[in-house]
Amino acid sequence: MSSDGPAQTDLGFTDPNPTLGPKYGPVKAIAIPIVSVLLAFAVGGILIYFQGVNPFTAYRVLFESALGDSDGLLRVMQKSTPLIFTGLAVVVGLRVGLFNIGAQGQLTVAAIGAAWAGYHFDLPTVVHLTFALGFGMLCGAAWASIAGVLRAYRNVSEVITTIMLNSIAIALVDYLASRTFKEPDQPISRTPLISDSAALATFGVIPSGFVIALIVSLFFGWFLIRTTEGFRFNTVGLNPNAARYAGISVKRTIVLAMAVSGALAGMGGAVETMGVVGRFEPAFNAGLGFDGITIALLARANPIATIPAAILVGILRTGANSLQFETGIEPEVVDVILALTLLFVAAPIVSRYIFRINAKRKSKSKGRS
Amino acid sequence: MHRKLLVAGLTVAALVLAGCSSSDDAATDTTSAEATTEAAEETTEEAAEEEVTEESAPAVTMDDSDCAAPENYCIGLVTDTGKVDDKSFNQAAWEGTLLAADELGAFTKYVETVDPKDYLSNIEQFASKNYDTIVTVGFLMGEASVAAAAEFPGVNFIGVDQFQGETVPNLTGLIFAEDKAGYAAGYLAGLMTKTNKVGGVFGTDTVPPVLYFGEGYRNGIAASNPEADITIVYHEPNNAFNDPEWGAAEAKKQLTQGADVIFGGGGNTGNGALIEIAKAPDAGTSVFCIGVDVDQYNTVPQAQSCLLTSAEKKLVSGTSDLVLASFDGTFPGGNYVGSTGLAPYHDTEAAVPADVKIQVEEVIAGLDDGSIETGVVK
Repeated sequence: MSSDGPAQTDLGFTDPNPTLGPKYGPVKAIAIPIVSVLLAFAVGGILIYFQGVNPFTAYRVLFESALGDSDGLLRVMQKSTPLIFTGLAVVVGLRVGLFNIGAQGQLTVAAIGAAWAGYHFDLPTVVHLTFALGFGMLCGAAWASIAGVLRAYRNVSEVITTIMLNSIAIALVDYLASRTFKEPDQPISRTPLISDSAALATFGVIPSGFVIALIVSLFFGWFLIRTTEGFRFNTVGLNPNAARYAGISVKRTIVLAMAVSGALAGMGGAVETMGVVGRFEPAFNAGLGFDGITIALLARANPIATIPAAILVGILRTGANSLQFETGIEPEVVDVILALTLLFVAAPIVSRYIFRINAKRKSKSKGRS
Repeated sequence: MHRKLLVAGLTVAALVLAGCSSSDDAATDTTSAEATTEAAEETTEEAAEEEVTEESAPAVTMDDSDCAAPENYCIGLVTDTGKVDDKSFNQAAWEGTLLAADELGAFTKYVETVDPKDYLSNIEQFASKNYDTIVTVGFLMGEASVAAAAEFPGVNFIGVDQFQGETVPNLTGLIFAEDKAGYAAGYLAGLMTKTNKVGGVFGTDTVPPVLYFGEGYRNGIAASNPEADITIVYHEPNNAFNDPEWGAAEAKKQLTQGADVIFGGGGNTGNGALIEIAKAPDAGTSVFCIGVDVDQYNTVPQAQSCLLTSAEKKLVSGTSDLVLASFDGTFPGGNYVGSTGLAPYHDTEAAVPADVKIQVEEVIAGLDDGSIETGVVK
C-alpha cells in the first residue's frame, strides 16, 4: 500500500473505458468472462466425473432445476437480487480505485436495520416501504463510510478496514438479534416478522426486489458513464493526482463513493429482509457480500454486466441442492466452479503482469550487455 | 504499477473468498448455540465410530423413482446448515436413519442445506417425490417442518430437536429429557469424587434445557453422595453460549477450590471449561470433566484427557425409533422424548471402578423406566 500521499489509491484502472484490468476491445471484454465460465464448468465437470457422475447429466439437473419450472425461476431471481446489489457495491468501489470487501458487513447491518424499521413501525405501505428500504441503505452507507473516511483522511487501507468491519458487523448484529431486537418468547435469536406494509411483494415469479435491482443497475450504468459525478469517480480511480490537478476533491469523492457502495450493499440487505426472509435471522445472509466480489470481477467492473453475472451465481446456488438430491454430488461443487471462474477471469491479468516483468528483465539485461 | 496492484487486489479477493466460508460457519454456530444450547460441541453416540462413507452417501444407482408404490419405502433427510458428517446432530440423525432403513430395506438419501432460506424447498424435493418419511435436523428448521407437514399431510415428518407446541399427526418432534442425562452424569460424579467437591459450569439458566441439565446434575450428585459439596454456576443470559474464557475461568476457580469432577455444558462456554480442565496435571487420573449433548470425545478432542463421559441425548436411537414407528403406523405426532444416557468412558475407562459403572447403569435404567425421578421441576 502506498504511503506517499493521503489520497493515493492502490487499485487503479489502466482502461478509461470502464473495464477492469488490461485494455481490451469490446469483443475480448465480453469473451473473456464467458470463456472463463466455460473453462470453470469444464474443470468442474472433471471433478464431477471423478465422483462417478456424468457431468452432462449433472449440469442438466443443475440448470433444469433452476430454470425448468416457476418455483426454480422464482428462487433464482430471489437469490440473484441481493447479489446484483453487492456486485454493484463492489463495482462502484472499484471505479474510484477502492476495493470494498465489506459488502457483507454493510449488507448485514442494513438487513437488521431494515428489519427493525419494518417491524417496529406501523405506517402506510408506500411510506413504510420507502422508509425501511431507505433506513437499510442508510445503515449500509454509514457502515461503509467508516472505512471511506479512514481511507480519505487517514490513508488507512479500505481493504483492511472493511474486512475488520465485517467481523464487527457480525458481532453487532448477533448482539442485536439476540438482545435488543429479539423476538420475545422463543429461543432463536432473530427479530420479529416485519409488518405487511413493509413487505416487498412478489408478482407471479418476479420478486419486486429483482425489478428494483435491475433498475438500479441500469441507473448506475448511466450514472458512472454519463454524469459529472460518475466522471469524478472514474477519474479519481484512474489517477488521483490528475484528478486533484483537475480540481476534483479526491477525499470527498472517496468518502462519497464508499457511502454509495455501502448504500448499494445495504439495499441488497434491506431487499432481502423485506422481500425474502421477512425478518432478520443471523445466518440467513451468509456469503451474499462475498459473492458480490466474484460478480464484480466477473462483470469487469461494469454495472450492467453485474446483472448476468449475478443471475449466473443465482442459478448455480439454486441448482446446487437439486444436484445433490438427484445425483449425490455435494452442493459445494458450485463454490469450486465459482472460484475457478474467478481464477480464470483473473488469469489474463496475472499473465500479462508476469509477461511484463519478463519483458522488463529482458530489456534490462540487454542494456547491461 | 496499476496491474501490480490489481494482482494484489485479486489475491486479497481470493483470500477473502477462501475465508468467507469459515466466517459463515461462525455465524451459523452462534445462532444455533444461542438457539438450542447444543452449539459447536455436539457429538454423536457410539455409532459415531462408523464413519459416514461414500457408500452411505446418496447412491445414484439406487432408485427412488417410485416411492409412491406401497412396496417401496423411501426415507429422506435434510440436514441443518452443515455437513452430514459433522460428528454432531446431522450425523447422528443420519446414522439413525440408516439404521432404520437397513432394518426396513428402505431407500434413503439426504440433502445438505447450504442456505437456511432453502430449508423448505429442500424438504419439498423429497415430499414431491412421494417420500414416505422425511427427517429434518435441528431446531432452526422447526418452522419449515411445520409448514411442510401442513403442505404434505400424507408424509410423516420427524423434527430432530424440534419441540412441537401444537400436535400435528404427521409431525413428531424428537426431544430429550435433559434432566435425566444431567442426573446420570451427577450420579457418576458423586461416586467418582475423592475430594467430595463437585463442580459445574453452564450456559444460562434462563434457557430451560440448560437449567434441566444443571439441576438434574445437582440432584444426581446429591443422590449418590449426599456429603458432596456442590458448586454450580450459570453464565448470565447475554452471550451465554459463546464465552469460553468465562467457562475456563470458572472451571479453574472450581479446580483451585478442590473440585475434581466438573460438568461443562453450554456451547463454547462449556467447551472452554472442558478444555481448561484437560490442562490440569491430574486430568484423567484424579481430575475429570463431563461433556454434554453428544459424545464430546469426538467434538472437543482437546478435552479428551479429562473427559469422563458426556451427558448424552441418544439421537441415533431416537431417530431410528421414530422412522420405524412411522413405517409401522404407530407414528406418535406431537413430541417424542428420546432416551438419554452417558457416552462411553473412552480414555478414562480404566479409571472408573467396575462397581461404579454398574451402579450408574442401574440408575440410567431406572431413569428410563421412570422408577427414578430426577426431582427437577419443569
